[in-house]
Amino acid sequence: MPMRPILLNSCAMATTAAEARFRIDVPIAPSRATRVMALDPAAAAVVRSVAEQHWAGARFFTCHSPAAAAGGEAAGEVAGVVLRRINGSLARLSDELDGADVAVMVATADASASAAATIGDACTQRGIMTAAVILGDGYGTGGAGGAVSALRPHARVLMVTSDEHDVAEVLTALRA
Amino acid sequence: MLKQEINELLTRTGPGTPMGELFRQYWIPAFLAEELPENDCPPVRVKLLSERLIGFRDSDGRYGLVDEFCAHRGASLWFGRNEEGGLRCAYHGWKYDVTGQCVEVPSEAENSRFCANVRLTAYPLVRIGDILWTHLGDPDRRPALPEFEFVHVPPEQTYTSKRWQECNWLQALEGGIDSSHVSWLHSGALNSDPLFRGARGNKYNMGDLKPFFEVVDSPGGLLVGARRNAENGSYYWRITPWVMPNFTMVPPRGDHPVHGHFWVPIDDENCWVYSFDYHPVRALTGTERQAMMDGYGVHSQNIPGTYRPVQNKDNDYLMDRDAQRRSEHYSGIRGIAMQDASLQESMGPIVDRTKERLVPADSGIIKARQKLRRAAVALRDEGAMPPGVDPEHQRVRSAAIVLGPDESFVEACRDAVTVLPGTPQVSV
Repeated sequence: MPMRPILLNSCAMATTAAEARFRIDVPIAPSRATRVMALDPAAAAVVRSVAEQHWAGARFFTCHSPAAAAGGEAAGEVAGVVLRRINGSLARLSDELDGADVAVMVATADASASAAATIGDACTQRGIMTAAVILGDGYGTGGAGGAVSALRPHARVLMVTSDEHDVAEVLTALRA
Repeated sequence: MLKQEINELLTRTGPGTPMGELFRQYWIPAFLAEELPENDCPPVRVKLLSERLIGFRDSDGRYGLVDEFCAHRGASLWFGRNEEGGLRCAYHGWKYDVTGQCVEVPSEAENSRFCANVRLTAYPLVRIGDILWTHLGDPDRRPALPEFEFVHVPPEQTYTSKRWQECNWLQALEGGIDSSHVSWLHSGALNSDPLFRGARGNKYNMGDLKPFFEVVDSPGGLLVGARRNAENGSYYWRITPWVMPNFTMVPPRGDHPVHGHFWVPIDDENCWVYSFDYHPVRALTGTERQAMMDGYGVHSQNIPGTYRPVQNKDNDYLMDRDAQRRSEHYSGIRGIAMQDASLQESMGPIVDRTKERLVPADSGIIKARQKLRRAAVALRDEGAMPPGVDPEHQRVRSAAIVLGPDESFVEACRDAVTVLPGTPQVSV
């Protein structure tokens, strides 16, 4: 290999603490377009609480089965899932995914597999990244194992945790 | 993204800092045993958690780790004479034993008891496997000795090396948790490195560049499962354990030895990387051991007489653009260890995490930072003993396995990620 001279300012020595101050320092675009969806009632309580924090642009929803939702022909119903905003108003999944680049599903042991499938499929069609935070203790009876199985096909990233603060932790890290 | 104050909390490990106190709850590697090879051998300087120390082995084979500087006028004891049961300062002859106790002050009167009142700060130094371990914390909270499998198998089954990495410990550790970079940065090595090549799992790695991830709490830290497509709808799982605060293992490949790392803060802008390979049930072959000594696998080729890699930031890691074009080395840097180190050092001494753009695939890193922060704060505020101190938490293995589409890696691999002496690693 031909030897070429290495200039001081073109080599890895420029990673010193003294050189770090010459890094371009401009504001970072505020956020990703994040949609946060609770798949079951216990998860909904967590999501409602998280939604009260300050977020750059994240939108928060709870999911309901069509039968359980008031008004069978609700505007939010898309192929087996009804979305409600935190204020209780209905939302249409396809509208909410328009412009989104990540969907974070939050679930507990009682997670609805059909809701996860509906959201997952809709995200896949639109090229939207999917992630899920599953709240539960362990994988045994009553644990998170069932929810993991339900969500695994539909979320590219699963975090299984007993700490509900992880929902906010993930959203913060993602600049939601 | 992290707030600046949290980045500060996680990256500063000097005395009195929350993370520094967290590290002081654990036994950490201080030296390779080869650094103090015989009684009365030369003392060795080391900086750990921003404290300058000196290690020595006295005439009776006892190990000592004490303040580097003589209590008299602050001269370095590295210039000292290690002889007749202690380390004697070369300046005025003050002498210390392995407990840091001053045992002789030559300028004092013959029967003077002055030296009884002079003691250097000293820490325990214990050999387990090829590593000399120390505990820099409160002796009253000294934990049980380390139980990591790689230091408890017979000597012929294990090999550990060490290198200096010129960046903060956390960005180095995060590379050990991040399983998604393997298919990119290390892609060339999967086909060529003698400690990686030939495993069936390699083709799964290269055949599916968009793995799915599952991050699961474990008693001592985390298990990070990376899932890639295998045959007939089955999945190839690579399971990376992290034991708090600074131990990671790489999932194995075929019958190759299993490897992993300790990431030990030197100060806030440098760390020691202890890299090991071991096989749970057989001796390493001569070829394997030689490959490790030559810097293959997770090891590095160091400048003789030092633990600084031959490839380092002063020579741009011997970047080879032709090899990069040929994809022999994806980044143009030879060797897995230096491929990682070059990029982690390129971030700067302490990466500014307020500027990063994390993605869901970084969930392992997100969760690890959260667990470290929680543990440091709980220790500071409540005195809570952190995860990873309990030897039971240290009896973990990495694993690589093919599972059916509906199988949980946590359930299916419960035994595979636990040390079962005398059983081989679960690997593909």
